[in-house]
Amino acid sequence: MSSKSLTLRNISKRFGNVNALDNFNLEVGVGELVALLGPSGCGKTTALRVVAGLEHQDAGTVLVADKNISDVPAHKRNMGMVFQAYSLFPNLTVEENVAFGLQMRKVSKHLRLKKAHELLDLVGLDSQNKRFTHQLSGGQQQRVALARALAFEPEILLLDEPLSALDAQVRVNLREEIRRLQLSLGTTTLFVTHDQEEAMAISDRVGVMNNGVLEQIDTPDVLYNKPASSFVAGFVGTMNRIPAHISDGMVEIFGSKVVALKRGNETGKVHALIRPESISVAATTAQGNAKVLTRSFMGASSNIICQTEDGTIVQSLMTSASTGDLLPGSSVQLRVLSSEVLVANV
Amino acid sequence: MAKTLRVRFQPPLVLTLLILGFFVFIPMISAFEYSIRTPLTGGYGWTHYIWAIREDDFFHYILRSMWLAGVTVTITLFVLVPTLTWLHLSRSKVRGLIDGLSLLPLVIPVVAFAVGAQISFPEFVQNTVLELPFLYFVLALPYAYRSLDIGLNSIPLKTITEAARSAGANWWRTITAVIVPVIRGSVMATIALTFALSLGEYTLTVLLHWDTFPTWVTFVAQDNILGAIAISMMSLIIPFLILTVITLFVPERSMQGRK
Repeated sequence: MSSKSLTLRNISKRFGNVNALDNFNLEVGVGELVALLGPSGCGKTTALRVVAGLEHQDAGTVLVADKNISDVPAHKRNMGMVFQAYSLFPNLTVEENVAFGLQMRKVSKHLRLKKAHELLDLVGLDSQNKRFTHQLSGGQQQRVALARALAFEPEILLLDEPLSALDAQVRVNLREEIRRLQLSLGTTTLFVTHDQEEAMAISDRVGVMNNGVLEQIDTPDVLYNKPASSFVAGFVGTMNRIPAHISDGMVEIFGSKVVALKRGNETGKVHALIRPESISVAATTAQGNAKVLTRSFMGASSNIICQTEDGTIVQSLMTSASTGDLLPGSSVQLRVLSSEVLVANV
Repeated sequence: MAKTLRVRFQPPLVLTLLILGFFVFIPMISAFEYSIRTPLTGGYGWTHYIWAIREDDFFHYILRSMWLAGVTVTITLFVLVPTLTWLHLSRSKVRGLIDGLSLLPLVIPVVAFAVGAQISFPEFVQNTVLELPFLYFVLALPYAYRSLDIGLNSIPLKTITEAARSAGANWWRTITAVIVPVIRGSVMATIALTFALSLGEYTLTVLLHWDTFPTWVTFVAQDNILGAIAISMMSLIIPFLILTVITLFVPERSMQGRK
C-alpha cells in the first residue's frame, strides 16, 4: 500500500490581516481518516490546501512519511483531491477523467483504462464510462471525482467538503461509500467539512478548528462526551447551557448537586453544559421546575423544549414512548441524568 | 415547427441578416459576378482565375502570407493563453490594467504604429520579415484577448486547474491537456480572427516596405483589375477552407457531449 503518514508542523498562513492558520499542528497516521471540522473561515480548507501544495504556508513544514515536502510543487505531491465544486474535465469522458492522473504519469493507455474501470467499478459507475460529465448527476460526478483522485494510488487523499453540494440522501450514501473505499484501500485521508454529523460518522478522529487553531482532536465519542473547550462543546452536537451555582466542586442544577467535571470559577455563577439526552423531563401534578414549550416527534425519539422558572430554555431528547403526556404548557420536573457535568464560566 | 418559425422571425436576427446581406454578401456576390465577366465575349468564364493561378507570384505570396499568419497565431496562443490563465487565477488587480492595454491597438493609428516601429526597432529586427507576425499579434490583440477572456470566464477555471495539478499535471500539461481543450471554441475563434486579420493586413505591411499577398494583389490590380478581384475571391476561400479543415481535424469534444 502506498499510503503514508502526514504531519503538519507549526504551520502559519495569513491572508492580508486574516490569520488563516496560526501555528497549526496535525498528525494523521497511515490509513487513518481524520476530519477537520469547524465554522466557515476557521482555516480548515487552508490547512488542506497547504497539504495539497495549492497554497504555500508562511511558516512551518509539511511532512509525508517524515519527508519534508514543503517546497514540492502540487503536481509532484502524489495526493488525490476531491473538491467541493464539481471539478471534472468537461471535455473528457468519465473513464478519461479517471485515467487522467495515470496519463500524467505516462502509464500506457491500456493499463490506465484498466485501472479506470477498476475504480469506476468500485464507485458503482462502470456502466457510465463513456459518458460525458454533464450527463451525470451531482452525486455521480463526485463519485467519478473520487475515482479520479484514487486511480493513481495517492499517498494521501484530500477531501475538501466533497458532499456539501449534494442532496441530503445522496450525502449520506456517498459518505458511507467514501469510508468503505478508504478502509478497503487503506488510504490516509484528510477530510474537511463544516458538517459535524458527516465528520463524526466516518472519521477515525475529528479535529475541531476555530480561528486557525486546532481546539481539540480526538475520536468522535471523546469529542462529544469530553469536549476540551466551551467552543468544542457548543460546536459538536447540541449542548444546553444552564445557569448554575458552583461550590466545592459541585454544581447545583434543578435542585440537585452534581460533580463539576471542568472547573472554571471555583465558586459562584457558571454555566453547566449538558447534552439533551442527559436531561429527563417528567410530567408532574405538583408545581414543577419548568414548563413544556414544544414536543417534536422524531420517530424513536422526541425532542422536548422546556422553559425553566428563570426563563432558561432547556432541550431534552427522550425515547418517544416516555413522552406521551408531555403536552405543551404542562408543568414538568427536569432532572440531570448524569452524575458529572461540564461547566464553563459565564 | 412553430418553434422554428418563431426563431426565424426574431426581429434582431432579421436585422442582423439584413445588415450582413447589404454590406457583406451583396458586395461579395457582386465582386464575384464581376470577376467572372469576360469583356471580350460579353459572357462569363474563369479566364481571370486561370490567369491568376498561372501568375508566378500567386502561390509565392499566398503561401508567404499564410506562413506569416500561422506564426502570428502561434505567437498569440503562446503568449495569451498562459497570460490570461494567470490573470484569471491570480485575481490580480493588474488584470484591469491589462484589459485596458489590450484595447490600445484599436485606438493607435496604424501609421503611428508603423513609424514607431521603424524608429525604435533595431536594424536586425527590421531586416527580417518575422517582425510582421509580432506586429500583427499586437493588431489582433484586442480581438484575440477578448475571445480567450470570454472562454476562460465561462469555465470553473480555478477548480479544474487545481484538479489537474493535484492529479499530477504540471503547468504546461494543465494548459495544453485541460484548459485549451475545455475552451476549444474560444481558441478556435482566436485562431480564426488572428489568421484572417494577419492574412488581410495591408497598411502596416506597406508602410514597413514588406511584400505580402495583399500588397501583391494591389500591385497586380494596377494592370488587371478583374484578375485582382479573382485573386481576392480566392484569397477569401483559401483561409476559409483551411479553417474548416482545422475545425474538422480537431475532434469535437464539446460540452454537449456525444449521443
